[in-house]
Amino acid sequence: MSAAIPSVACLGVIGRNNNPLHISIFPSYDPTANAFTPIRNPLQFSLLLSSTIDVFDLRSKTSTASGDFGLLHAIDDRLAAYGFETNTGVRMVCIVDMRGRRVEAGGSGVAGQGSGAAGASTASSTSASAAAARSSVGSVGAGLRDSEIKPVFRAMQSAYVRLLQNPFYDPDEHAPLGGKGGRRITSKKFGDDMKRIGEAWTPGVTTL
Amino acid sequence: MDGYPLGSLDHNVPLIVVSGLTSDPPDQPPKAKGQGVFLRSDLPPLEGKEANFLESYFEEVDERGKSWTVVTREEHFRLRVKTVGRTFVLPSRRATLPETIEPLTNTPILHSPFSPLSPSSALYPDGLMNAQWIKKHQEEIPSIFVCFHTLTSDSKIAVQQDNRLKSALNSMRATLVESGYKTRLVVIILGDAEAKANLTAEIIQDRLEGVRRGTGLDPKSIFYIPPQESPSELRRVMDSIFALLYNTAIEYYRDLGRHARKKRSRGIVPQPTLPPTSGTSQTLSLPDWNFRYDFKSAIFAEFRQEIDAAIRSFEQAYEILLGQDVLDIIPSWSPRWNEARLLADIISIRCLRLHLWMGQTSLAVRRWQSHRDRISDFVDRRGRGTNNYGWQAWESRWAMVMANMIEMVEVPGLGPSTMTIFLQPEKALFGERLQPWELLHHTGYWYRIAARHLGARRTLAHRIPDDDRGAPDASPASRVASKAIRYDTYMCPPPHEEYPLNGNGINHAQLMIDCLLNARGQFQARKQHRIAAEISLECAREMATLGSWNEVLAMLRPLWEDKSFRSEWWLDISEEILWVMRRAAAETGRADIVVAIDWELMNERFTPRKKWHYDLAKSLDGVSSTSRPFITISDDVASSFISTSFAFRSKEGRAGETCLAQLSLKSEALQAAAPVTLSSIRVEFEGHLKPITLIHDSDLLTNSSETPVSVTLVALTEQLGGDAKESDESEKEDKNDGDGDEDKAKDEDEDKAKDEDKDEVEDKDDEKEGQLTGKCDLTLRPGHRQVFEMNIPLREPGQASASRVVLTYKTDTFELDYTLSLSESGKVTGWFVQGATKPRLSRPDGHILHIQPRPPKMKLRLVEPLGQFYANEPIPLRIGLYNEEDDSANVKLDIRIVGKVIPRFRVDAGEHKREVDAAEEESQVTGLALGHIASSSSLELSIHLDPAPAPTAYEIQIRADYHLESDAATPIVQVLPIHLNIVNAFEANYDLMPRLHPDPWPSLFDYEDLQDVSDGDVVQARGLAQQWCLVCHYASFATEDLDVVGLDLALTAVTPGGRCQVVNQPELSADGLIVAPKTMYEARFGLVAQKITLDDRHPVAIDLAFVVRWRRRRQLADGESNSINVTTMTVGQYMVLGTEPRVLASVLHSSQEQAGLVRLDITIENPSSHFLTFGLVMEPSDAFAFSGSKQTTVHLLPMSRRTKTYRLLPLARGVYIRPGLVVRDKYFQKVLRVIPTEGMKIDKDGLLVWVPPAPEAEEKAEG
Repeated sequence: MSAAIPSVACLGVIGRNNNPLHISIFPSYDPTANAFTPIRNPLQFSLLLSSTIDVFDLRSKTSTASGDFGLLHAIDDRLAAYGFETNTGVRMVCIVDMRGRRVEAGGSGVAGQGSGAAGASTASSTSASAAAARSSVGSVGAGLRDSEIKPVFRAMQSAYVRLLQNPFYDPDEHAPLGGKGGRRITSKKFGDDMKRIGEAWTPGVTTL
Repeated sequence: MDGYPLGSLDHNVPLIVVSGLTSDPPDQPPKAKGQGVFLRSDLPPLEGKEANFLESYFEEVDERGKSWTVVTREEHFRLRVKTVGRTFVLPSRRATLPETIEPLTNTPILHSPFSPLSPSSALYPDGLMNAQWIKKHQEEIPSIFVCFHTLTSDSKIAVQQDNRLKSALNSMRATLVESGYKTRLVVIILGDAEAKANLTAEIIQDRLEGVRRGTGLDPKSIFYIPPQESPSELRRVMDSIFALLYNTAIEYYRDLGRHARKKRSRGIVPQPTLPPTSGTSQTLSLPDWNFRYDFKSAIFAEFRQEIDAAIRSFEQAYEILLGQDVLDIIPSWSPRWNEARLLADIISIRCLRLHLWMGQTSLAVRRWQSHRDRISDFVDRRGRGTNNYGWQAWESRWAMVMANMIEMVEVPGLGPSTMTIFLQPEKALFGERLQPWELLHHTGYWYRIAARHLGARRTLAHRIPDDDRGAPDASPASRVASKAIRYDTYMCPPPHEEYPLNGNGINHAQLMIDCLLNARGQFQARKQHRIAAEISLECAREMATLGSWNEVLAMLRPLWEDKSFRSEWWLDISEEILWVMRRAAAETGRADIVVAIDWELMNERFTPRKKWHYDLAKSLDGVSSTSRPFITISDDVASSFISTSFAFRSKEGRAGETCLAQLSLKSEALQAAAPVTLSSIRVEFEGHLKPITLIHDSDLLTNSSETPVSVTLVALTEQLGGDAKESDESEKEDKNDGDGDEDKAKDEDEDKAKDEDKDEVEDKDDEKEGQLTGKCDLTLRPGHRQVFEMNIPLREPGQASASRVVLTYKTDTFELDYTLSLSESGKVTGWFVQGATKPRLSRPDGHILHIQPRPPKMKLRLVEPLGQFYANEPIPLRIGLYNEEDDSANVKLDIRIVGKVIPRFRVDAGEHKREVDAAEEESQVTGLALGHIASSSSLELSIHLDPAPAPTAYEIQIRADYHLESDAATPIVQVLPIHLNIVNAFEANYDLMPRLHPDPWPSLFDYEDLQDVSDGDVVQARGLAQQWCLVCHYASFATEDLDVVGLDLALTAVTPGGRCQVVNQPELSADGLIVAPKTMYEARFGLVAQKITLDDRHPVAIDLAFVVRWRRRRQLADGESNSINVTTMTVGQYMVLGTEPRVLASVLHSSQEQAGLVRLDITIENPSSHFLTFGLVMEPSDAFAFSGSKQTTVHLLPMSRRTKTYRLLPLARGVYIRPGLVVRDKYFQKVLRVIPTEGMKIDKDGLLVWVPPAPEAEEKAEG
């Protein structure tokens, strides 16, 4: 017996020149295949991330000083993009898959990555009860508040700050002043941080 | 929204039928079968402009009634108006029995023809509901039947006409009542102008009352419209009538709703007219009936615009429908299953609309989602599952429904102009945990979802096995049956139409493109250009599947041109766009785009595609192109895999010299790519540098091709404008392969190349400008950096910056010019050396060179300059011109002097001489032609400035304008500025001290002496005389020793009546006195001043000047002595020969033998004309002994003087002694100051007399 809960589908860092600095993609639960696979391919995620730039630009005229843009837009009924902008114009985007993870309806345990056992149980249960659970979760509010994404951005920002503290990381190389483009972040540590954040986040998590 | 039955989704508003304005269409006979209620009147329809206007007005109202926007309180009515003639047919209330059945024993209970109870209905026997019923109420049965009539103004036939009207209305009323419809009858009597003229208000009133009474209408149902001035007033009147009628209409629908609720509350299942005999013979159950009633109440509530009530009833109906008793028990193979789904959709759509009307946008989305979820659950459970194209078709339809609805309802705040992407949730849901999607996004998102589902639908459709794709008549019955079970054909075609084996099925791609274009429009309107671009890409992909390559190109071209994604380094996205576009360009034969994209894709930033040639030469393989295209692209359009930089060796150069420069080309191509051999490179400059063209020459292979960087020296050949004149300027610096043999070989090569590149040379010749050409190997391997080092001759001064590089690539199939810009400001470029991969000496703006003008090699110099010039000294300046040019020069000289006052000066240059008079501020000599100065020879000229009277400063600028004999056109300028600061050589201060004139004063009584006035012209002075001594302390302010050859005191002015002469002055040796700088020297001059006559009592003012005659000590080369300069310093004015008495002390030292006896003479002069008495008191002192009167009185006659003598014997020697002598004017009791003369001095206590030391001591001291 399981229900879908939100999970991070993709974390992206976009540089000052609107150039991609980092993209991490996380698998989502696919009920038909009963496996964890990314919901979109990397190209599509790139497109999704780049599309948020428009929203950032559109909102930056009216936005608050805090840099937290909250929900940028929902791409469809499953994916939604949340955004955060640092003082230096680096934008962090978190794309949430609203049905990216399964949770056992009885317990609160979050299904792990390769949860074969859980999958088997779902397969055996009737689809009717699954639907009921889904609707019940829906009524309880499987939704998401903007504030629930904040820990992700906090963690991303501190990871980025740690990256900046690395003397071998030259931010200008990644977003040349007044120039175009820029290199991507190659730091393995930063990538690991992103991976950790993306995998650890689930609604209600306050620190990452 | 299309696909749902007509009328099922309309916005239900009250229907009003207006009759009597138009004539019946003649070809519309009353319903053929004679069924229905036939409302007619024989009265003629109204005519005239009012009728026409009203007709158009009703059309307008009707049009407004079709709108899906919410009916607000401000809107007084929203109606559908149907205009008919004098006849109108209402549908019959009771269905007839089918003719086929045998007559029944008892009279059957007949039901409405739309009811599932009537055998003639489509719903019979177990259908739930269909759109027919809604349509019936919306279009066929009016809530109000309005008849337009007029009152005849002809009084003769008035009664008759009124009676006709009454009877017509009565019959109509009777028909309506009989039919059982509750439609209200309303009469509107339109007054015409004639009536207004003929009839009074009372008559009209009476006649109207008569009609009303005669027909039994209630007063609210009869209106009279008096003739109106203008259509707008008529409109206003009609508006108010409609506003009234609207309430009546609402009342009508309320009755209907009440009726439906009443039937529901009965709780019985009505029996059909005939029990069903075919099909399942199943009839509707009680829940089914309840559903019907709820649905009806909801629709009637919508008619009344009671949104809350409508939602409540709809939701109730929906729950019943999807509950256990209705949809659950309908078998999925039955057509009723799909009908029920349709009903569920219709209810949901209507609910969505109601939510949107109420501004509950998030609830609407939630409702949208929940309907989808519930239906998908149903379909999964009871139907054919969701994993087929039918489900995806519905999903896409469902998203489209939302998109269409948002547009049709015109949800406030979500229009394109608001630039909002999504709406915030309504207040009721504020603070709830909402799905992000529950915030209503604009329609672009919904269209995209629809497109996505269409894509899924196509994927699933393509999975249909071939067996199912055949036409049903061609396949066995069993397969047809299984197909019916397997495929969900709810609102979508069966498999053999969706994706037929033969022929075209559904054009999924086109559907998607339509959807995507809709979405793109929405995103573009909200400036979400990146999503719009993404959608363009999706569109292009779909168009590619359709093979409409031109459209693909049109779709992607803007993206390619504005470099979206590429300029921001979204590499994977740009790559995708490029590949799709390349394919389209190749298909459409756009060689330029193909090559440009190939050029771009060779960059190693992109992921290599397997089995791709990555060879520019093969770029146009398979591209059909008529001629050999000449392609021009630049780095604004397509980024390059070759990066270039250009650097000058130094920041500055000089015209006439050469400057080293490097052009570096780095190939950042994929390792798999083939080496690219450019045919030529052209570097263009901004400013005064000729373009450089490097031509490929495969013979000149670079010897270090294995290293990542190879530096090649390229010899440049200069071609002057047009005439291709060659000068071997820069052959010499070929140090890399600078052997003589090589050079020769190169020359030969050049000749060969000349023929080959003839056409090109001709091209360039047209430009009529010079250029530099070089030859080298222009092959670039991936990852290799080629550096070409060139020595560029600089010709003209100014700034030159490398602006762009044009790479030319030629193959048999095409020719490409790729332009790269170099003029990025702040670009850091460095200098490459052989063997190092990184450039050195990186500096910004390395591509900019400042070319200084050709330096003048003519040297101007001051010959033997003097360190300091002094006032009163003539200033000679010798200027040397040394021609260090290679050629003789023709020189003209300008001399310009600036200062406060410019003295006369003379320029002396061989035979050319000029003199310029003194002037204020500025003085100059221009155009002094000096003639030719041969190469490496010199010329000297001198400038003589007259002595300056006072210290001053001069700025002298000597400017030589010249040109070389060989190049007369280029003027060259050399300038020598000289700053002359002229100071005074001497400074002095002065002291005028009185002395005792030795001669006796003339006596007043000596008549002869006094009277003998004239002796010729010279007037002999006979007045009083005084002797003075002027002490001049002077110092040299020069920087060197000077020879002072003479010192003079000049009397510049004496008051008339006085006379003054210098009686002695210091004598200097012939060589003069060497005066060292900053040392004080003293000169004493004796002066005698005398008045001409004794009678003159006025004091005499004398003005003196101290004259120093000096010369520089420097030895001149040619032996001539330095000229003697005269510096005159004014001493100032002194007053002498006053009339006040004065006391002069003079001292006389005795000879050596008399042991230091000192004689002190006190001379009292009385130049006044009074008799004066003085008392002299001599104080004794310890320092000396004295003889003479200690106290005495001296009487002085006018113009006389007397001397008292004291003899002092000083007790000490070599010191000053202080004789305590006081001279007092007896009469005025005033002490006179005793004025010292030589050998004495005075301080504030009185006189001091110097006692020279004893001779022995003196000698000792001297020794």
